[in-house]
Amino acid sequence: MQDLTVDYEAEGGTGRAVSGVSFELGPGDSLGVLGESGCGKTTTALAILRILPKTARVIGTIRFLGRHLFQLRERDLQKVRGADISMIFQEPAMMLSPVKRAGDQVSEVIRAHTGESWRECRGEALARLSEVGFESASRIYASYPHQLSGGEQQRVVIAQALACRPALVVADEPTSSLDLGTQAEILDLLSDLKERLGIALLVISHDPGVLAKLATRIVVMRHGAIVEQGALGQVFQQPQSAYTQSLLVARATSPLAPRRLVPVLQSASEDAVKARTLPDVKADQMPAPQRAEPELSADKGSPRYQEPLVSVRGLSKRYQHRRGLKTFGIQALDNVDLDIAAGSTIALIGESGAGKSTLALCLARLEQPDAGEILLAGRNLLKVPRPELAPVRRKIQLIFQDSTQALSPRISAAEVVREPLDIGSLGISTERHGRALELMEQVGLSAAWARRSPLEFSGGQRQRLAIARALALQPSLLILDEALTGLDLPIQAEIIDLLVELQGVHRLTYLYISHDLSLVERVADEVVVMHQGRIVERAGTAELFRCPSHPHTQALLGARLALEAALPREA
Amino acid sequence: MRNRSTIWLSIGVLALLHGAVLTAHFVAPYDFAAQDRDLPYAPPTRLHFIDARGRSHLRPFVYRSVEQPEGSGHYVEDSSRAYVVQFLVSSRSGGRRLFGVDEPASIFLLGTDAYGRDQFSRLVYGGRISLMAGLLAAALTLSLGLLAGASAGYCGGWLDGIIMRGAELFLALPWLYLLFAIRAFLPLHISPAQAFFLLISVIGLVGWARPARLVRGLVLSAKERTYVLAARSFGASGFYLLRRHILPQTLGVMLTQAAILVPQFILAEVTLSFLGLGVGEPVPSWGNMLATLQQYSVLASYWWMFLPGLALVPVFWIYHKLADSLHEETL
Amino acid sequence: MRYVVTRLIHSAALLVGVSMLTFIFLRLAPGDFFTDLRLNPQVSAQTVADLRAQAGLDQPLPVTYVRWLKSVARGDLGLSLAYNARVAPLLWDRARNTLLLAGTAMLLAWLIAIVAGLSSAARPHGIADRLIGGGTSLLLGVPELVLALGLLALAARTGRFPTGGMVSLGFAKLNLTGKLKDVVLHAALPVAALVLGALPVLVRHVRASVLEVLQAPFIQAARAHGIPRRRVLFGYALPAAANPLASLFGLSVAALLSGSLLVEVVMGWPGMGPLLLEAILARDLYVVIGAVMFSAAFLVGGNLVADALLYTVDPRIRAR
Repeated sequence: MQDLTVDYEAEGGTGRAVSGVSFELGPGDSLGVLGESGCGKTTTALAILRILPKTARVIGTIRFLGRHLFQLRERDLQKVRGADISMIFQEPAMMLSPVKRAGDQVSEVIRAHTGESWRECRGEALARLSEVGFESASRIYASYPHQLSGGEQQRVVIAQALACRPALVVADEPTSSLDLGTQAEILDLLSDLKERLGIALLVISHDPGVLAKLATRIVVMRHGAIVEQGALGQVFQQPQSAYTQSLLVARATSPLAPRRLVPVLQSASEDAVKARTLPDVKADQMPAPQRAEPELSADKGSPRYQEPLVSVRGLSKRYQHRRGLKTFGIQALDNVDLDIAAGSTIALIGESGAGKSTLALCLARLEQPDAGEILLAGRNLLKVPRPELAPVRRKIQLIFQDSTQALSPRISAAEVVREPLDIGSLGISTERHGRALELMEQVGLSAAWARRSPLEFSGGQRQRLAIARALALQPSLLILDEALTGLDLPIQAEIIDLLVELQGVHRLTYLYISHDLSLVERVADEVVVMHQGRIVERAGTAELFRCPSHPHTQALLGARLALEAALPREA
Repeated sequence: MRNRSTIWLSIGVLALLHGAVLTAHFVAPYDFAAQDRDLPYAPPTRLHFIDARGRSHLRPFVYRSVEQPEGSGHYVEDSSRAYVVQFLVSSRSGGRRLFGVDEPASIFLLGTDAYGRDQFSRLVYGGRISLMAGLLAAALTLSLGLLAGASAGYCGGWLDGIIMRGAELFLALPWLYLLFAIRAFLPLHISPAQAFFLLISVIGLVGWARPARLVRGLVLSAKERTYVLAARSFGASGFYLLRRHILPQTLGVMLTQAAILVPQFILAEVTLSFLGLGVGEPVPSWGNMLATLQQYSVLASYWWMFLPGLALVPVFWIYHKLADSLHEETL
Repeated sequence: MRYVVTRLIHSAALLVGVSMLTFIFLRLAPGDFFTDLRLNPQVSAQTVADLRAQAGLDQPLPVTYVRWLKSVARGDLGLSLAYNARVAPLLWDRARNTLLLAGTAMLLAWLIAIVAGLSSAARPHGIADRLIGGGTSLLLGVPELVLALGLLALAARTGRFPTGGMVSLGFAKLNLTGKLKDVVLHAALPVAALVLGALPVLVRHVRASVLEVLQAPFIQAARAHGIPRRRVLFGYALPAAANPLASLFGLSVAALLSGSLLVEVVMGWPGMGPLLLEAILARDLYVVIGAVMFSAAFLVGGNLVADALLYTVDPRIRAR
């Protein structure tokens, strides 16, 4: 690829997605493209096969086996696609037609490029399916995509991609939508197939761990341009550009990347390994040193011997739903006991379906538990009579995962923040407006933006708004239900900064619910592990991560360590 | 942007149209019941700008039509005297009319019917019935639908079940059949005014199910929105949630539905009146004006009697454009 | 299997509900078949009362309803007061003609709609799309009544098509081909009116559904695998669009039925429409109910067919 530049034309103007990207890939080679969302890596990949939307304007050259791809006619390009170069996209469920059998979709690819009969194509497709690790290829052949798991679907997609033995496979975030265990399996498979079939691989990911497994060389992209390139080991261990460094630091404790990626820049003390703040990185600066930890931070998990702020006793909840004549029940919470000390930061982890969100909803009184009690400063929340409920329930506030959904797009930012005050009729209108502006400033948003719709804010800014709104009622406990998931890492770091600051100023207690272990490691004093509605372990953060005692905790943390071996050894 | 202008343009044109028919006593040159026994089934009066001597005039004028030969039904123009079209004339019954000509000439822009009544005037007066019936019936249907859908969606439970079963029932009925059946079993010989209100009620009643289902769907999904959940956690009451967050979501859909339903209901009125089940003589509606076309002779010979049907076309077209644009806008 | 059974039970319940609703509506109205008779000074009040009792119209609502149910079980659907004959054979005769008309129109309309919709969606804003779009826009504005009247006027003017009825006077004497030709000629204009009336909505929906499917990621993936355009359109897009289209099928049956009522009356096709109208004007209770139930059954049947279609084309539905 030489000097590839792609512009997108939109109503407002033209946006440059990729500018002047060049790289080379030899046969059997493997190149990884690292970068955050929006840096242009996917566009670059789509450009190779010329499947960009009509609004894209492409200049530059791409040569494949000596042929200029951009000079080919559509008909000839069609022959290249799928047969010489093929692509694997991010979400396998969306890449397969829901009304066609899985195997048929592989056969279709074969049929499109060879003149063979349907029966022959079917035979070949079955062979390919076995190749990607399916034991019962014929069963998979006859299944429809919705009958297959995420991992199985991705294997089918891989079978499709390899069906005609291409020379080059472009894999765009091949494992991002899969869960931890499956990710590792698929990466193993890809690595294996690459070796066996001698395919050249172009892997794109925002996760260095994925690239560590599959690529020998790395290209780092930012804002459409290449920032750095070189051999994998070199770039990961001695990153030249500060941006790469920040990416690696931020992702250092990604679910997949081993901890050894954390560069030496951090201070050594093991206790301080839970870095609460992250450097604010500007383009060519060295990262700033860590901020000193605020006083209120936990004393490495030692329990507080005073009256807990919130106490949950024996909480149980069962969800029922009917399918036809049968009734299914899920025990979301099973006799849960939990104490949350004032001023602490507790993390609640567990796999999806463990009951974490249900607990949060019960605490916020949005769900009614079947049994048990929730004590807030001694009073049982579940038994408080309705007229007195309002001032009490204010003390616990919830911040949701999806900020686009959590803030109504039809009202202005200030109205969003003051809504709790409006509902509770606290103070008069002008007072409430003033308070809303005050809160916005507190979370780092300019009051000048008060009239804008939440849609105009970025993801991180919307979460700040949500935090401001939550603070309006002066709560004691703030529950953050996957509130930082989905934010770009530098933004995540900023929000964490903010939360720490607010905790000091307002004497807040935090309950983080997250599946992101690196985040948990960074922010929490104590970690509580839930599994199938029960609490199975609770310990101080460092202790838990170092030696988890419960088998389930071990399983959760175990997937992280799986990729340790993939990294080149440090000198 | 183009969408917005289409919406406003359509609304503007419709407002103009409705304004014209509501001020029929001004816009139309003749009263709807006024007959001219000398000129039954007269073709549309031609407007001339150039007279017999070849001179052109700025203001149009007409010639008087006479039946020639007597009783044949064939008309010729008497070019002996030109009658200039005048504007803002004072009418016989007091008040003013937009335009007209001096007696004994007449300006029948769209011809006359069997009784010599001016079709153009009847069209304008008839528009009152047909267009307004559509609007009012749509308003009724949408109100019912909103009430039913919001209650079903928000309250859930048995109320939801009953309302939805009911909606299914109403949707399963072929609406035109039911419409006819209900209408016909009500007294056939009632005054036009009563007929009008009856018509609106019946049409409006039959159609509530579809909007109700739409509203229910919207309310259900809005109810689950995270920001509604958040508001609940701040202690919001049901009414607050409906008022502030849920019902405003239905506005877009309601408007689009209105633009879709109104033409359907106009057609329902036209059809019923066409078949004699709607508004009756002497009050004109576009439907009963078309009814004469059921006679073969009229259909074959007097083409201008077809024009009320054609009047429906631009109206429908504008409503459809409006519905499309509204749909785009609220998507 | 369970799915089919549930749907059948559901439909049956629906029909029962419809019958009750219709009955209530009709009986609530003041007056009946004999009301006009009472105005006739030559007929005594006693005679009218007797006639009424004979027809069972003086009984309370539930009783009449049960009697009607019994007549359904017997298969005759009650007695037509105007014709003095059983309702069922009367209806069935006419219903066959309506089915012929509506069925043909349905088939034709859908065929044309799929072809037109696909061509439009294959190349949006291309020549075909604009032409078809313009055509449908135009047709949308013309209500079915006007279409029917217009076609009738055309028939009257050109004299090529007959202006009413299903068969000509000398029908019985024609040979098979002649008979066929005769019916086709008579049906041509009514079918045309129905098809033209239904087309705009159908074409737009097909186009919209196919367009939406074409946006799906798996279409892009198929392209990325080098699968040729035509195969993508017919092998991937159309099957995926089958789901929304099958739902549309059910709705279109309803629209077509309503339309056929009007077209039959205006163009003189001897279907259920004119029968219903007559019965309404004469207040022939059992004929009206029979006709309404018939169309409701037709509608419900159409929806069942749509459900069955959905079941066959979409594996996700089968899984549920």
